Amino acid sequence: MSARLPPVPGEWIDRSVDIEFEFEGRPFRGFAGDTVTSALIAGGAGTIGRSFKYHRPRGVLSMANHDINAMMQDGARMNLRGDVVPLRKGMRLNAVNTLGGLEADRGRLLDGLSAFLPVGFYYKAFHSPKGLFPFWERMFRRMTGLGRLEFSSPRLRTPKRYDFCDVLVIGAGPSGLAAALAAADAGAKVCIVDENARVGGSLTYQRDAGNLIPGMLDVLIARIVAHARVSVRAATCAAGYFADHWVPLIEDRRMTKMRARAIVVATGVAEQPAVFRNNDLPGVMLVSAAQRLVHRYAVKPMESAVVLTANDEGYAAALDLHRGGIRVTAVLDLRRDISATEAAKQLGAAGVPIRCGYGIYEAREAKGRVGAAVAGPLLDSGDLDVARQETIGCEGILMGVGYAPAAALLYQSGAKMRFDGSVQQFVPDQLPAGVFAAGRVNGVYDIDDRLRDGARAGTAAAAFLGFASTAHPAVPRAQSSPSHPYPIFDHPKAKNFVDFDEDLQLKDFIHAAQEGFDNIELLKRYTTVGMGPSQGKHSNMNAIRILAKLLRKSPGEVGSTTSRPFFHPVPMSHLAGRGFHPYRQTPLHSRHEKAGAVFMQAGIWLRPEYYAFPNKSKQDAVREEASTVRSSVGMIDVGTLGKMEISGPDAAAFLERLYTGKFGNMKIGMTRYALMVDEAGVIIDDGVVARLGEDRFYFTTTTTGSANVYREMTRLNVLWQMQVGIVNATGAYAAINIAGPRSREVLGTITQLDLSANAFPYLGVREGCVADAAARVMRVGFVGELGYEIHVAADAACHLWDALMKSGQAHGIRPFGVEAQRLLRLEKAHIIIGQDTDGLTTPVEAAMGWAVKMDKPYFVGQRSLKIIGKKPAKSQLVGFMLEAGDADAAPKECHLVIRDGGIAGRVTSIAFSPALGRHVGLAFVAPDMAADGSRFFIRVDGGRMVQARVVPTPFYDPDGARQKAEAA
Amino acid sequence: MTSIRMSPVHAQLEALQPQWEERLGMQVAAKLPGDAAAMLEAVAIADLSHLRKCGLKGPGAERWLRDHDIPVPDGVNAWAMLPAGGVIARLGRSEFFVEDGEAGVVVESIGASLGFGAAGVYPVIRQDAGFALAGRRVNELLVQTCNVNFEAFGAEEKIAVMTQMVGVSVLAIRAIHARVPCYRLWCDPTFAPYFRETLTGIAEELGGAAIGVDALPI
Repeated sequence: MSARLPPVPGEWIDRSVDIEFEFEGRPFRGFAGDTVTSALIAGGAGTIGRSFKYHRPRGVLSMANHDINAMMQDGARMNLRGDVVPLRKGMRLNAVNTLGGLEADRGRLLDGLSAFLPVGFYYKAFHSPKGLFPFWERMFRRMTGLGRLEFSSPRLRTPKRYDFCDVLVIGAGPSGLAAALAAADAGAKVCIVDENARVGGSLTYQRDAGNLIPGMLDVLIARIVAHARVSVRAATCAAGYFADHWVPLIEDRRMTKMRARAIVVATGVAEQPAVFRNNDLPGVMLVSAAQRLVHRYAVKPMESAVVLTANDEGYAAALDLHRGGIRVTAVLDLRRDISATEAAKQLGAAGVPIRCGYGIYEAREAKGRVGAAVAGPLLDSGDLDVARQETIGCEGILMGVGYAPAAALLYQSGAKMRFDGSVQQFVPDQLPAGVFAAGRVNGVYDIDDRLRDGARAGTAAAAFLGFASTAHPAVPRAQSSPSHPYPIFDHPKAKNFVDFDEDLQLKDFIHAAQEGFDNIELLKRYTTVGMGPSQGKHSNMNAIRILAKLLRKSPGEVGSTTSRPFFHPVPMSHLAGRGFHPYRQTPLHSRHEKAGAVFMQAGIWLRPEYYAFPNKSKQDAVREEASTVRSSVGMIDVGTLGKMEISGPDAAAFLERLYTGKFGNMKIGMTRYALMVDEAGVIIDDGVVARLGEDRFYFTTTTTGSANVYREMTRLNVLWQMQVGIVNATGAYAAINIAGPRSREVLGTITQLDLSANAFPYLGVREGCVADAAARVMRVGFVGELGYEIHVAADAACHLWDALMKSGQAHGIRPFGVEAQRLLRLEKAHIIIGQDTDGLTTPVEAAMGWAVKMDKPYFVGQRSLKIIGKKPAKSQLVGFMLEAGDADAAPKECHLVIRDGGIAGRVTSIAFSPALGRHVGLAFVAPDMAADGSRFFIRVDGGRMVQARVVPTPFYDPDGARQKAEAA
Repeated sequence: MTSIRMSPVHAQLEALQPQWEERLGMQVAAKLPGDAAAMLEAVAIADLSHLRKCGLKGPGAERWLRDHDIPVPDGVNAWAMLPAGGVIARLGRSEFFVEDGEAGVVVESIGASLGFGAAGVYPVIRQDAGFALAGRRVNELLVQTCNVNFEAFGAEEKIAVMTQMVGVSVLAIRAIHARVPCYRLWCDPTFAPYFRETLTGIAEELGGAAIGVDALPI
């Protein structure tokens, strides 16, 4: 049976384009312009989905982008909202959330068990016996969730883009259109967006029983389209509001981050359901849903209907639908005393019974959908007089009892809202600068008033931006309330749903409040009201009304829950989109690739972990690299180190205040280790400071610390006002460390610098040319061998690398990676900040008191270290060695030191030292365990205990003779 | 002769089989295969990292520049042309960025005159990767990568923008050459491979591609 009507003026469908598709295995046919739901209803479908919890059959509710029971799966695309998703050829749709299909859904048995599954039942059950928890977990995972995730579906690189406008108007109904025109006429560049496929808002379906000025919408649209300063985006959801008028606009395949200078929120209202037994039967829907079906898609959702209303618009809608071919068997008005509108009179003249002061007690089912409405008069208490109930036959019940403002964006913008009893609605009370509201979200309902209110808001937005404009007076809100204060009716058999997303019934709210969840935020979390896919668009207002009544408060006193972006679900593909994940490469990256480097991430840097060789394991490669450094010469790219320059008359004094050591007494041409602590005395960075001139220093920081150190230096100099220039040259310099007993010979062939031990001693720094490039060369020994750290401009890095490789060829030079460097430095017990320290480690605990000069007048953290120094240390970093036989079950970094069954410390670094033939490491232990020769236990994977012995450090070359290489 | 200097995106350009030319001590992709004119109808990206650069900062920097007859942009976040080509951008009240054109000598003369610095003037080593983005659809690339509304700037406005593009801090200036929108971008060289790869990918989606330096309408 087809429910398609003859052509309707203004319909959105293109009858010349047939579209075939499948739903639940059955063939259907629709037109271009149809949504999935409109085509299904046109094709005779009644039930189009199952409810989330009780698997009850559901049909159309709103046709307004929150019919969450009409969600479909189409191949890899899941949770398509049938009420708004355009029909496409070849769709093979299935309802989500069924066990065995829509008709035969085995989950429907849950409806019969609903008495045992009240809200929050899972909080109170399933936690014992403990052993059954995995069973329940599996069951819940199977039963819950919507849609089926296809892991094989290709990644959609949904583009994200920025856009800009003067005024963003959200909502292209009459007030939004008027606002856009007013702002644009004043000179502003305007963008107007609407989530519907076409602009026009309620004018596209609410015809006010034919009382609208003929062609009003066409005129508005024509003006908008023709206006040079207005861009229109339909099918675009403004899904959130962020600071400074930053609004993400969600389209089918794109997200635009719109930065507006002002916004007008003309988002209208969401029609609200009445709450009565079986108000979820297919055939019970909002009046506006029926109007959308009739006027946009030329679909008649039912043959006959009872209209339940509480406002004058309900009569206009009833008359409109009656003329559209739906036989209205009764109009029930929750209000008692009304003055009959013209529409009411015409309905009466057409023989439609009108009952004032009447409500619906329950919907009766027949053949899977509404068969009748059971109505009754309202008592003074607001309850229904059940004794005088009457049954009215119908195929549908249309609910038009009131509205809730679509005010999520206003809330998110920081607008103060207040409950206006005269319109029974939250309305804007105070709006942030640059945010304006217009139309029904503002409590303005009459069509002429909405147009005037839109023009006022648009003009005000333009004036806010400095465009010349004339102020418009405020527009009065509705004279009579369009919303009923309590369209909610109890029933002993329940199934009177408040939230259709989560199958929440009236009794669930009552029970929640009785259990103490009587604050709207608590109520939300306990019941999960508003937490489903519709995000409370049809349930939050009724929940507030219910709680208000239970607490004997007004809705304004109860308040609303916090609205957060996104207020409407956004596909993950939009949020993921094109990812921007910056990474850094040193200038030598191409050389590492050629040498077979296996890269690792160090922060956002890519660094060679080691250099791979065919038929050689990583462990062997790393050990060979380390061995080459110990026996001959190797080189490593250390360009990731932070590199700073500081110069000026106060440069030395600045460093003295910044670091724990002394730098004022350094000789020009020398370097010194530098340790940085924060105000709490915690180690945060280290490096090497080189004095290049009386007032000129160059120094390094850790790889990951450079940006923070530079930022902190800049901040401190704002405070200290010292005469220094600070430059972060991290990316501008490349750095190569050449190390090993042959390093002097290798470097000596490509530089005129005097590298002799006397002329260039250990810890010296020299400036000169290396391989024809201007360079700074530092004699430092992080890996414990004679070595030089050569810093050149980044664009000369490859040239230097090539020259060193060529020069070192005769000595078997080879590059080494981070893993070998870690091993070599561990043999010297040189710590790595962040690995051998943590967010609480002080220099005392790290055994680095030698790097802290407390006799200085001041340095950052000094005061804290004085206090810390008076207290006993909680832990101590020590070197340890394993016995020879424990190599197979060696601990790993972060394994725990155990004493008397409790945690007494942890391993921070450990590696097998080829030079020593043992595993050596660093560990934090209790101070009374730190004496040389002490033994302690480390718990390794599997729980086994491995004994370790505290030994003096450095493990290798304890006198430092190799790195000093004074004899050479 | 082997060039001492190398562009941070040399390896990426090498894969495009360019016609290399040595300029200012660096191998430059002068020409790339493909129809550069067609690329300029969409979005073209070229590497200009070979141009010499330097920076100055400190309370005496502005005075020092004026004393050495180097044009100083009037306001913060403004730029000016150097007499023999090239640009000087004012990054803050007391910080400047200078890039010479291929024939320029300003950077060299600043280095020679300033040395390690003067009173209240501190030299800043600049090794930025430099790029040019040009083409009639260039704004479509910009709105996908950056949240600055470059189109709001007047055609004659010389505004230097320090912002983030594809997550990387950049200095950007806008000019129009031969009625083609053209942007100069500079970023830290260690981000350059990522930066260029990402921009080129988006440019290709828009029908553009990399071009050689000689095809730029500058």
